[in-house]
Amino acid sequence: MLTRNVAAPSSLCPILPYDWQFQVSDQLLFPHNLNPNLNRCCSTRKIKGFRLMANFWESIRSGILKNNAIQIVEPASTLQEEEDPVPEEFVLVEKSHPDGEVQQIIFSSGGDVDVYELQALCDKVGWPRRPLSKLATALQNSYMVAALHLVRKLPDQEGNEEKKLIGMARATSDHAFNATIWDVLVDPSYQGQGLGKAMVEKMIRTLLQRDIGNITLFADSKVVEFYQNLGFEPDPEGIKGMFWYPRY
Amino acid sequence: MVGAAISSITSSQITMIKGGGGGAAAAFPSKSMELRWIRRNSRRKIPNPNPSSREFGSLNSTPPPLMMPIYISADPSHINLQELSELYTSCNHSCHRFPKVDSNTGIVEEALDLNKLRIALSHSCVIVSVFCKPQHVKVTNITKQIQNQEQQKQMKRGFVGDLMESVAPINPSNGQLIGFGRAVSDLGLTASIYDVMVAPPLQGMGIGTIIVKRAVRILTTRGIYDIAALCSTKERFFFKACGFRDDILGSTTMMYGRTVSNTCFEGNELVTAAGRKLLLAPPLRVPPFPSSKTTKHQG
Repeated sequence: MLTRNVAAPSSLCPILPYDWQFQVSDQLLFPHNLNPNLNRCCSTRKIKGFRLMANFWESIRSGILKNNAIQIVEPASTLQEEEDPVPEEFVLVEKSHPDGEVQQIIFSSGGDVDVYELQALCDKVGWPRRPLSKLATALQNSYMVAALHLVRKLPDQEGNEEKKLIGMARATSDHAFNATIWDVLVDPSYQGQGLGKAMVEKMIRTLLQRDIGNITLFADSKVVEFYQNLGFEPDPEGIKGMFWYPRY
Repeated sequence: MVGAAISSITSSQITMIKGGGGGAAAAFPSKSMELRWIRRNSRRKIPNPNPSSREFGSLNSTPPPLMMPIYISADPSHINLQELSELYTSCNHSCHRFPKVDSNTGIVEEALDLNKLRIALSHSCVIVSVFCKPQHVKVTNITKQIQNQEQQKQMKRGFVGDLMESVAPINPSNGQLIGFGRAVSDLGLTASIYDVMVAPPLQGMGIGTIIVKRAVRILTTRGIYDIAALCSTKERFFFKACGFRDDILGSTTMMYGRTVSNTCFEGNELVTAAGRKLLLAPPLRVPPFPSSKTTKHQG
């Protein structure tokens, strides 16, 4: 029942208005690429330049859409008085090498994570493989995707930089009360520097700023202490998480 | 003709969640509700309602009929926000994990933030609601009582009238919301089930299990098999009966609990209220180096 599966998300998933917005935009000849949130899997460097433009186009688009008969778009944006987390980016660590090479570890919450890079990182950490398409969908529909990139600027090549994914964390949420943090990982060669801690702390800060008070996660036995140091309590007041197991 | 009974779902219902725009009706096919019959275990004693708690129905409520029809819907547009908040109240359920509770009666003291609830519903990918015929459950809401009485007067009395009334299907406007459950997901890998509740006089009849199983079925049809549910000690038995187990990988459930009371509060940090807890955000770490290159962008 392939068609059924396709139809179901469009009617149940609240994200549809957001998708619809871009279907409408196609009709209005605004290219998809201008919106940074859609093209997660594409090369991320192009998107950086477009971010400034995105707001400009957004304002024009909403203005035109107001005259459009299709009003679906407007409700979705007015319904959310808070915006989805504004993508932030800042440098966590900066190191200058004697040969002029500058290495920076950049934190970004815009979710520009390449799925292939992420899959490679998961392999490095020793996690079981998951289907790429599901990974991509999960990243797209997560409330917040934080990523750490190592950027190496070589001295002789001006403007040319190497960017490598070395860490990621993501959180799903209902945007109001509950959030769950999944998939926190840092490249083994960069562990122990406080990078994971910084990522998770930033996530918590963003969630609390949005008034989302119920932050949960499911920790492996080895990392329970790591999260305890960050302020998480195991099984608070007897609350446990249970998982569904199919009975075949 | 018999009035009132059968009417189709109007587009105004859909605007509840989507927040406006009648044009949306065409895009979402209105789903009819699924009918199920549930049986009450006649040997089971109905527990005496606590006189001081805000119970659904009056103190002398008659027990529900031995077999009654319920209507299950997975259409988010069938939810009336006001009715839903009344259900939260009557089930003594809060959206916050640790709500402010009156220590004597155990009743949740907080008012439900309807706006936040609306936002939460619009971002829940699965919403299951269960309705029943109003005559099977006594309603505390005065306006609903009056509305029901009006409807009773308008309907033809007598054998045919009663027959029509008993076989007429329910739609969200004349059904009584008695059960609810929602799930949040990233639509690819994981999902979490929240806020499963059934009106107290109808608990113990299997409605909650139906809600959870329906939500799980919708999620697994979309290929999501990693389904979690947070439950307190009391809810654990319920979820176990629905087919949930402790994590096979042995992971520990952890919740952020750094509060003003258990950490030294300097007074200039970010504090968020979540129920009865005043959560303290981790201290803001200034990045060691301001970025020399303009990697920062305007939001």
